[in-house]
Amino acid sequence: MNSTAFLILIWVFLSGSLLPAAELPLAVRDFTLDNGMKFIVVERPMAPVVSLVIGYKVGSVDEKPGITGMAHLCEHMMFKGTRIFGTIDHAKELPYMRRIDSLAEIYHAELAELRHRFDDTGKPRLDSLKNEIHRIQIEQSKLIVKDELWETYLRHGGTNLNASTSNDATRYFVSLPANRLEIWAMMESDRMTGMVSREYYSERDVVHEERRLSLDNEPFGRLEEQLYAAAFTAAGYGWPVVGWASDLETMTRHDLEQFYKKYYCPDNAICAIVGDVDFEEVMRIARKYFGPIPPAGKPQPPTTMEPAQQGERRVEVRFDSEPLLAIGYHTVAANHQDQPVLDVIAAILTRGRTSRLHKRLVENDKTASWVRADAPFSRYPDLFTIWLGPKFPASTADNEKAIYQELESLKTIPVSELELERIRNQLEADFLRDLRSNLGLAFRLVNYEMLTGSWKNIAANLDKRKGVTAEDIMRVAAKYFTPENRTVASIVKKAESQSGAVRKASGD
Amino acid sequence: MPSERQAGIKAVRLSVSIMMTMLLAVAPVLSAPKSPGSKKLDKIRLKQLTWKIPQIGNEVQRIMLDNGMVVFLLEDHGLPLIEVNALIRTGQIYEPPSKMGLVSLTGTMLRGGGTVTMSPDSLNRLLEHMAITIETSIGMESGSAYMSALAKDMETGLEIFSQILRWPAFDSAKLEIEKSQFRESIRRRNDSPREILNREFAHLIYGDHVYGAYAQWQDIKDISRADLIELHRKYFHPNRIMLAVAGDFRTPEMLNLLEKSFAGWPASTLELPSVPEVEYESKPGVFLIEKDLSQAYIRIGKLGIKRDNPDRYAIALMNYILGGGSFTSRLTTRVRSDEGLAYSVGSSFDISSRDYGLFAAHCQTKNGTTHRAISLMLKEIADMALGLVSDEELEMAREAFINQFVFTFAGSGQIVNQLMSLEYNDYPPDYYEKYLENIRSVELPDIKRVAEKYINRDSLTIMVLGKSSDFDKGLDDFGKLTNLPLPDPGVDR
Repeated sequence: MNSTAFLILIWVFLSGSLLPAAELPLAVRDFTLDNGMKFIVVERPMAPVVSLVIGYKVGSVDEKPGITGMAHLCEHMMFKGTRIFGTIDHAKELPYMRRIDSLAEIYHAELAELRHRFDDTGKPRLDSLKNEIHRIQIEQSKLIVKDELWETYLRHGGTNLNASTSNDATRYFVSLPANRLEIWAMMESDRMTGMVSREYYSERDVVHEERRLSLDNEPFGRLEEQLYAAAFTAAGYGWPVVGWASDLETMTRHDLEQFYKKYYCPDNAICAIVGDVDFEEVMRIARKYFGPIPPAGKPQPPTTMEPAQQGERRVEVRFDSEPLLAIGYHTVAANHQDQPVLDVIAAILTRGRTSRLHKRLVENDKTASWVRADAPFSRYPDLFTIWLGPKFPASTADNEKAIYQELESLKTIPVSELELERIRNQLEADFLRDLRSNLGLAFRLVNYEMLTGSWKNIAANLDKRKGVTAEDIMRVAAKYFTPENRTVASIVKKAESQSGAVRKASGD
Repeated sequence: MPSERQAGIKAVRLSVSIMMTMLLAVAPVLSAPKSPGSKKLDKIRLKQLTWKIPQIGNEVQRIMLDNGMVVFLLEDHGLPLIEVNALIRTGQIYEPPSKMGLVSLTGTMLRGGGTVTMSPDSLNRLLEHMAITIETSIGMESGSAYMSALAKDMETGLEIFSQILRWPAFDSAKLEIEKSQFRESIRRRNDSPREILNREFAHLIYGDHVYGAYAQWQDIKDISRADLIELHRKYFHPNRIMLAVAGDFRTPEMLNLLEKSFAGWPASTLELPSVPEVEYESKPGVFLIEKDLSQAYIRIGKLGIKRDNPDRYAIALMNYILGGGSFTSRLTTRVRSDEGLAYSVGSSFDISSRDYGLFAAHCQTKNGTTHRAISLMLKEIADMALGLVSDEELEMAREAFINQFVFTFAGSGQIVNQLMSLEYNDYPPDYYEKYLENIRSVELPDIKRVAEKYINRDSLTIMVLGKSSDFDKGLDDFGKLTNLPLPDPGVDR
């Protein structure tokens, strides 16, 4: 136990008002166990509830071709139980799992063979193997207590119960009545080391259905997938978090176990606890349950970096829907000094009704029904993106041209002090609003710790964004918003795509 | 609350039962078969959790202003912020379906169209410079307005908020933009399969009733500013508005501000238009809409209940067991966990609707397992009426409802909004006090009874959106099969 618990107040200086410190009772304290697991705690006794977030620093960026989607599949499997949860007797399950594994090995070998022969005559054989795997799993289910973790949280009053996987991180979260802290600690510490990948192959199918639902059949999902796939040729942000369909048919339980062992360890986990809790009690419970877990050594970060882009890339997706446009520019990671500037630029472009792109495209030109710019906040250099829904009869090309003009003016004309002041006021108000919910605050603490190295950057980053000058904006806009650094993706309505609707805009 | 009895303000206190203290330490009762983990969990001793249901007259003040506006207030000095929510007694239900677009546009244009003293652009500049958020809308059963501001800007925020509610200008140029936005959203209404299925299912079940209707461009294209002004005049009166105010303020000061902001706005004695009732009937059968997709989108359901139905608690628990309790529910266990056929599967039973709400089970599965998924879903639905639910399943559902109840009142904004909605929707004032008792009193025979009565297999409508030539089997063994066209958005190109 590394007893460096200390107390920091998040300070907010509100322009024009003097606030006594007592009115911002946000004491954030942290401590790190000997095994490297860090806890961030905010005591907030407003209501007898607590929000709990555990973040593991592992996302799809940590995968490799062949196992794309593994971080997300692993998140699903974390709900299938452990050696002591989700089963009546784990030892008795092992023979079933071994039989499934050996059938799966044959299945994967035959699938690989068929794929290489470009042949689908073997499909009936594959189907029968799959049915046999399914049959054994149903036999095994006599020993399985279905979705016990989930059920236990719910019966203890859990709300906001879920987990999410992104490119950079995997987070497990729940809000509970405040007296359930120990229940949570026991279950979470148990699944940090004891996960058992029972029902793996049916869950892999579930994830494949998730992919069909959110990527294959939704125009947005498709557009996003194709934008990133085109913009990243080497680095791990190029594949979708849910994974490529072909990998979802071939990743094995063995692949999963390897992945889990490497990334699910206390020295790769961050926990935030916000609510009606007592700091000393949190320390006691954390030591008791998470303390005995040995560290595994921080996993190596991915080594492949994206080479500089050397020319515009354009990608068209033909889809049965009205057109959509996405533009991405390679920029920086969360920790980079230009990140706060990009954040301010995104606000200038599309935050609110007075923002530049909204005003221009939605209200004046009337060529778009909506537009949104996002600055990335990621572990590694990521895309600054602009998303837009054109309004008939305007095309994506009409809108592209106007967007490039607005980006050009950021490079050449200093943003007025009035405009900057508006953004600063909004940033301050947002900062306060984001502190309102326990769960929201817990997420921010975990995210900043994982992506910037310290939750203390929440306040530091606000100051940095407030300090952004007109010159910073001109410099950063000129540095990143260039045609050769750009990827443009668009959805083209299926019936009309013959005419080639991603025409190159003439304005750059 | 004598200190609030200031000039022009009537303090009204609802007669509610005395504040009650609840003990939330229901230790889960598990029965065999048990996992080794659950035995370990049972050894953890839970401390008792003591908390109170927030009450009007205690934490929350309920005041009626002179002009009839009802205000709920809760001070919370945790952060220097103020949040105001308004509910306005209007909605699409009071108007014919052809006016849906007008009602919805009026809601958006309250905020978007400026006020009589401020053009839309100056309003936007002022609000955004002060980081004040105000948004308005009108939905099916209510209008709503929301304001969030830093505490130091409370006065400006409330002033503008009241102007928007009382003196909206509905600027013609902005109206044209909003109309073209509407047109674009109608043009795009067939882009997302989920949206198509939800919409067409409701339309099939409710027929021409406004609950199942959706806005058509032909009804919108000729709307003028005068139509919005007339609709506003018809519904926006202080005695038909409720406000919920929470945040960093002092109650007497806030009441003075509200009084000042809404001063001189006369109450109205006009009757609200009558609301057409939903005709209760079932439309059994299978309805297929063709679309070239890699998954079939499935919805199975029927008309449910009105919110004053005393069976609502038994129904809530029954639906939790069937498909509402996410992973623990029968539909998810069977279709997702056992068979791996779907990512999203479950059911919802609306128990809060003014007129008959919907029961609907849903699932998306790859085309080749469509028939199989529907068979499994129908079996699970039918099983609910056979008395096959175990004591343990019911106990688990009850525990979840009871232990989650504390989250109903987890923040100050949430507390005032809950109490306001209760009154707006005509729930009895002791609704929350009796809630746990109502949940606890549901027994196994009730589950069987409500399943028989409300989700009878023979009365179910099955709707599928997908590419039927790729389905594993024809769907006509589930009932009479009807092919429905996917309605064109009806916006000329």
